Amino acid sequence: MIENTLDNYAYTNSIKDANVSFKVLFAILTVIVCLVSTSPVIPLTITFLMLFLIIFLAKIPFKFYLKFLSIPFIFGFMTFIFMTVFFGISEPWFNIGIFNLAVYKDGLNLGFLVLARIMGCFSCLGFLVLTTPINEIFFLLERFRIPKIIIEIAMMMYRYIFVFLDESGKMYNSQQTRLGYSSLKNTYRSVALLASNLFIKTWSKGEQLYITMESRCYNGSIKTFEVQKSIDIENLFLLLSFEFLLLLGVYLTRGFKVI
Amino acid sequence: MHIMEGFLPWQWCLFWYLVSLPVVVYGVIQIKKITDKNPESKPLIAVSGAFMFVLSSLKLPSVTGSCSHPTGNGLGAVLFGPAVTSVLAVVTLVFQALLLAHGGITTLGANTFSMGIVGPVVAWIIYKACKNAGLSLSIGIFFAAFLGDLSTYVTTATQLSLAFPIPTFTEALIKFMIIFAFTQLPLAIAEGLLTVVIFDYIKKLRPDVLEKLEIFTAPKAIGGK
Repeated sequence: MIENTLDNYAYTNSIKDANVSFKVLFAILTVIVCLVSTSPVIPLTITFLMLFLIIFLAKIPFKFYLKFLSIPFIFGFMTFIFMTVFFGISEPWFNIGIFNLAVYKDGLNLGFLVLARIMGCFSCLGFLVLTTPINEIFFLLERFRIPKIIIEIAMMMYRYIFVFLDESGKMYNSQQTRLGYSSLKNTYRSVALLASNLFIKTWSKGEQLYITMESRCYNGSIKTFEVQKSIDIENLFLLLSFEFLLLLGVYLTRGFKVI
Repeated sequence: MHIMEGFLPWQWCLFWYLVSLPVVVYGVIQIKKITDKNPESKPLIAVSGAFMFVLSSLKLPSVTGSCSHPTGNGLGAVLFGPAVTSVLAVVTLVFQALLLAHGGITTLGANTFSMGIVGPVVAWIIYKACKNAGLSLSIGIFFAAFLGDLSTYVTTATQLSLAFPIPTFTEALIKFMIIFAFTQLPLAIAEGLLTVVIFDYIKKLRPDVLEKLEIFTAPKAIGGK
C-alpha cells in the first residue's frame, strides 16, 4: 500500500535527522513562492529542484517517486486539456475538428500555468512527506499553538489509520474470495457491510483504547518526549536568500507565456 | 471533490482559510467541552476520525465507470454532529494530503469549507428536518448524505469558478457544474444508498453504540451520567 511505503520512507530516508523546522519552513516557503508565481517557469524549476533533492539527497528510489508524481500529473494534465479547450476568450488558435472544439491560446497558457503550479506545489509537499516523519510535524505544530487536544486526536488517529487500513484490507480479501465483488449489486452490499463492520470494530477498539489508557494513568492528556531544535542563523540566512532568489525569478519571468 | 494542491491562486487560498477558521475554532471548542465533561470520548473521537479516513480510501464503482470513494460527510454529520465533523474533516484532510496526495496544504482551507463545513451542515439540517417531519430514518439519512454530497460539489464548483472566472463567473460555473453533474451526481446517489445500508447494519448489530453517540450530538444529556 502506498500510504505504508510513504510512511516507511519518511522514517528511513537519508535526511530524516535534518532539522524538522528547517524542512517544514523550506517546504512551506517554497510552496508560497510557487503559488505567487504568474509564469510556469519558477514552478517548473521548483519541480526539478525538488526531484533532484528527493532522489539524490534524500535517496528515495527514482521509480517510487515517479509513481508518486504521476498522481498529480494525471490530474494536472486533465485540467490542462480542459482549460485549453474551454477557457479561452480570444480568437481560437486552431480547430481540433471533432465536436466543434477549438484550442485557445490564453486557455493553453492558463492551463499550463496551473499544471506547472500543481507540479511545483506537489513536489514541495512530497519533499516534506517523504523526508519528515509525521510525528515530528505534530511536535512542531504544538509550538505553533495549535490546541493540544487536536494534536492528541490527530496522533491517535494516525496510529489507528494503519490498524484499520490493515483490517479493512483483510475484510476486503475475505469478501472477494467469497465472490463479494462479482456484480455491481454485490459490490455495494459488500462495501456497505465492510464499512459498517469497520465502524463497529473501530468503536470497540476506541472503547478498549480508553480502558488501556486509563489503566496506565491517563488523565486526559498524553505526555510526549520532544527534542526541540531551532534553526541556526547561518542556515536561516541561506534559506531566506534562496527563497529571495526564487522570488526574483518570479518577478523577472512574470510576463512569460508558453505561446 | 478535493481541490488539488497548487490549483487555486494564493488570494483564494488565503480567503478560504479565513472563512473556514472560525467554524473550525468553534468545533475545537465544542470538542474540548465534550472531552472535558467525559474524557472517555476523546479516544472515541479519534478512532471515528480514523474511520472516516479509511472510509474515504474504500473504492466505490459509480455508474459512469469512474471509480471514486465515499466522502463520509453524511455519515459523519449524522453520527457526530456538524461541529465535531468539521474538526475531524480538517485532520482527515491533512492526512489525506500527506499520506494519499489527495488535496493539499495550500487548498486545505477551501477543501475544509466545501467538505468539512458546507456538506456536513447541509446533511445535518436535512437529517433533522426529515426527523422532525416524521419521515423514516432511512429516508432522512439517504437525503442527508445525498444532498450533503451535492452541496459539497456545488460549493467546489463555485470555488473553482470564483478562482477562474473565465470568461465570466456564471459561464465558468456552468462549465464546472456540467462536468460535475456527469461524474458526481451518480456518486452522490450511490453514497446516499450506501450510507443507508451502513446505518441499517449498525442499528441492527450494535444499537447501543447509536444510543451512546448522543454524547456527541447533545452534550447536555450526559449531565446525569
